Amino acid sequence: MKKLAVLLVLMVMALVGCTKGTSESGGDTAPQGESKDKVIIGFEADAGTLMANTDVNYATDAQIRNIYDPLIGRDADTGEYIPVLAESWASVDEHTWRIKLKDNVKFHNDKMFNAEAVKFSIDYMLDEKNNSFYRSRWENIKEVKVLSDTEVEITTKEPFPGLIERITVDLLIMEPSYVKEVGNEEAGKKPIGTGAYKFEEWSRDNYLKLVAFDDYWQGAPKIKAIEFRYIPEFSSRLSTFLSGEIDLFKNVPVDSVEKVKAGDNAKIEEVASSRINYLALNTFYDGPLQDVKVRQAINYAVNVDELLESVLNGHGTKMTGPLSQLNMNYTETKDYGYNEEKAVALLKEAGYKPEDIILTLDTPSGRYPMDVQIAQGIAAQLQRVGIKVDVKVNEWGTHLEKIRNREMGDMYILGWGPAFEPQSTVVDLFTKEAPYSGFYDEAVQAKIFKTVETFDDDERREGYNELQHTLVEQASWVPLWQQADLYAVKKDLNFKPRVDEEISAFYMSWK
Amino acid sequence: MLDFVIKRLAQVVIVVFLALTVVFFLIRLSGDPVALFLPPDTSREQIEEYREVLGFNRPLYEQYGEFMGNAVKGDFGTSLKTNEDALTMVLERLPATVQLAIASLIIALVVAIPVGVLAAYKKNSVFDKFAVGVTIVGQAMPSFWLGLLLIYFFAVQMNWLPSGGSGSPIHLLLPSLTLATYSIARFTRFTRSTMLDVLRMDYIRTAKASGATTFSLVSKYALKNSLIPIITLVALDLGTLLGGAVVVEMIFAWPGIGRLLMQSLLNRDFPIVMAGVFIIAFIYAMINFIADIVYAYVNPQIRVK
Repeated sequence: MKKLAVLLVLMVMALVGCTKGTSESGGDTAPQGESKDKVIIGFEADAGTLMANTDVNYATDAQIRNIYDPLIGRDADTGEYIPVLAESWASVDEHTWRIKLKDNVKFHNDKMFNAEAVKFSIDYMLDEKNNSFYRSRWENIKEVKVLSDTEVEITTKEPFPGLIERITVDLLIMEPSYVKEVGNEEAGKKPIGTGAYKFEEWSRDNYLKLVAFDDYWQGAPKIKAIEFRYIPEFSSRLSTFLSGEIDLFKNVPVDSVEKVKAGDNAKIEEVASSRINYLALNTFYDGPLQDVKVRQAINYAVNVDELLESVLNGHGTKMTGPLSQLNMNYTETKDYGYNEEKAVALLKEAGYKPEDIILTLDTPSGRYPMDVQIAQGIAAQLQRVGIKVDVKVNEWGTHLEKIRNREMGDMYILGWGPAFEPQSTVVDLFTKEAPYSGFYDEAVQAKIFKTVETFDDDERREGYNELQHTLVEQASWVPLWQQADLYAVKKDLNFKPRVDEEISAFYMSWK
Repeated sequence: MLDFVIKRLAQVVIVVFLALTVVFFLIRLSGDPVALFLPPDTSREQIEEYREVLGFNRPLYEQYGEFMGNAVKGDFGTSLKTNEDALTMVLERLPATVQLAIASLIIALVVAIPVGVLAAYKKNSVFDKFAVGVTIVGQAMPSFWLGLLLIYFFAVQMNWLPSGGSGSPIHLLLPSLTLATYSIARFTRFTRSTMLDVLRMDYIRTAKASGATTFSLVSKYALKNSLIPIITLVALDLGTLLGGAVVVEMIFAWPGIGRLLMQSLLNRDFPIVMAGVFIIAFIYAMINFIADIVYAYVNPQIRVK
């Protein structure tokens, strides 16, 4: 008996020992009555690293953009480019770009931002040693030259009209002398940037705490401290929000919107995302889908409005063509609409009896809003015109691998984005090398390559217009919708969701 | 004794080696990690290039050989996602997992032993039936459901406790209670049945006849002997608690090994998975090793066998 008591005491001591190790600063437990200068954001995943320009991952990017600034950002509503650390940019010739930089911008360690920092940040991505997953997107860069403290020149190997998009999406500016001094690993744990918030503390899988940078070049932030708290499980995230412990979280499932709204101090903020969902029709194998009439029939047979209403409760914005309205060079294209008779007639014209067509439909599970239910809904709709569909549900990693290895069946559900610029969408979806849509046509591909390399704005716009109409005519896929970004937000927090999904505390404030 | 220790240590090595081998090949069945990490616009050549840099294009046996060679030296490679040392990342999470496991074990013992003893002593009473009934429910209740119920009641409705996260002893309460429930049920049933066996023994009757009070009868004579098998059970459960807290760690956002492993599996971050499997297998085998040694020390018969 005594031994047992001793054992228990020892275990309690061990426990206290452990607690000390991990509790230097606990998550704040007092949900109410806290001073209103802090915002706690619930997040499903930790950042992979706090190093900029390394991890291609939304969770990482959304958090570190509070620490680092880009050269070019986006308008919160339209997605158009706006200068951030850059003052202006222009192409000198097809291979050369010049970017003028802002003056008088300070890093968190009081060093000044300059052209050297831009060069360093791009070179960092290109250096194989750094294992940056962005490298593949930047391999077209030949050289970054520092012209003066406030001007850089970027030369590319091939003409690269998409460079500005790459700068906007990928590039964040790091402080060169700091990274060189402490090394990549340390700099990835204690980052220094020019952003509105300074690093304070990071506890892996637990939280990231940042404090306001009062010397921020756009002025001192109103919210003095932010914390990203990692709660992987949605039900737990919702509970944590409803109990008042967190102020904000993204990606409320459409079937939980009402539950959030029922909370005492809660509202839902919604914006149409630049992420799109679509049903890919695989034309890489012999079969009915190689026939444009069959693809058109499927476009007529899928009732997008019905899916939006009944499965997504209206949280989504219908698309008709390959690009969402947020894209530069978007043009309105023909809407197939829902028409069972036309679908049946087209199948007949193509020489098929609907009941002879049996197709597989692959969907990931939990990757996109209600993805499995959507797939089942589509299967049911196609069955109405007589096409038999076999739905296969995959774990996300497997789904993506099947697509990349071209092991996919006839149809699959996939999302794409964030997409503001048509180049990556058309090149990565509708060319022979690109596996994501399963559609390829030699003439379309030639047109795509010609368009993306066009430097003249009007000519390029004309090219994209034509492409969008052609891709719809060809029924290259079944466009579904732009996802709705749904945020659960405390009622008294001023927060406006952005189309680029950034969660920027600089623009938040308490009422 | 030394022979015995060496033999058992060799078993630990074999267990860890086999665990690593099986998991090494199993996770490779889940597919190639490279595609998951690279941006979608990466070309096939570029993917191939990354596979080559990371060594995933080489034959499996070669990869396995290299992995084992490095693992012996304690090098499990770096995380594919963060480029940090995999073993360090796992070890950083260990204190949180140990903390949760020990807290659960304490709760389980403190609740289960008195209840089990009392249930045995008052066999077939209302209390006994109630205790047995509750333990069946406790054993049958899945932890993800119980966890959510506890969060809903204590955090959302009553606002007494934080719904997740870690840091203070208060944060520990709900997850350790959730994790302890299964052990409570197991321990209670086991204590009750071993106690019943012991209470039937002759020496208990003798003690009773010689006028021992109920309390001393139970605490001094019966409990001591009925506890020995329970210690085995505790050792086994501690191993399970250390490795099997995945669900509880996910629900309560507890930053432990289980959650890291789960996420790394989904991300196919192989080096972290392997380092995690190594740590868990090692701890599990070591706990059993220590239990064996203690037994052998206490009971020489085992050594001879």
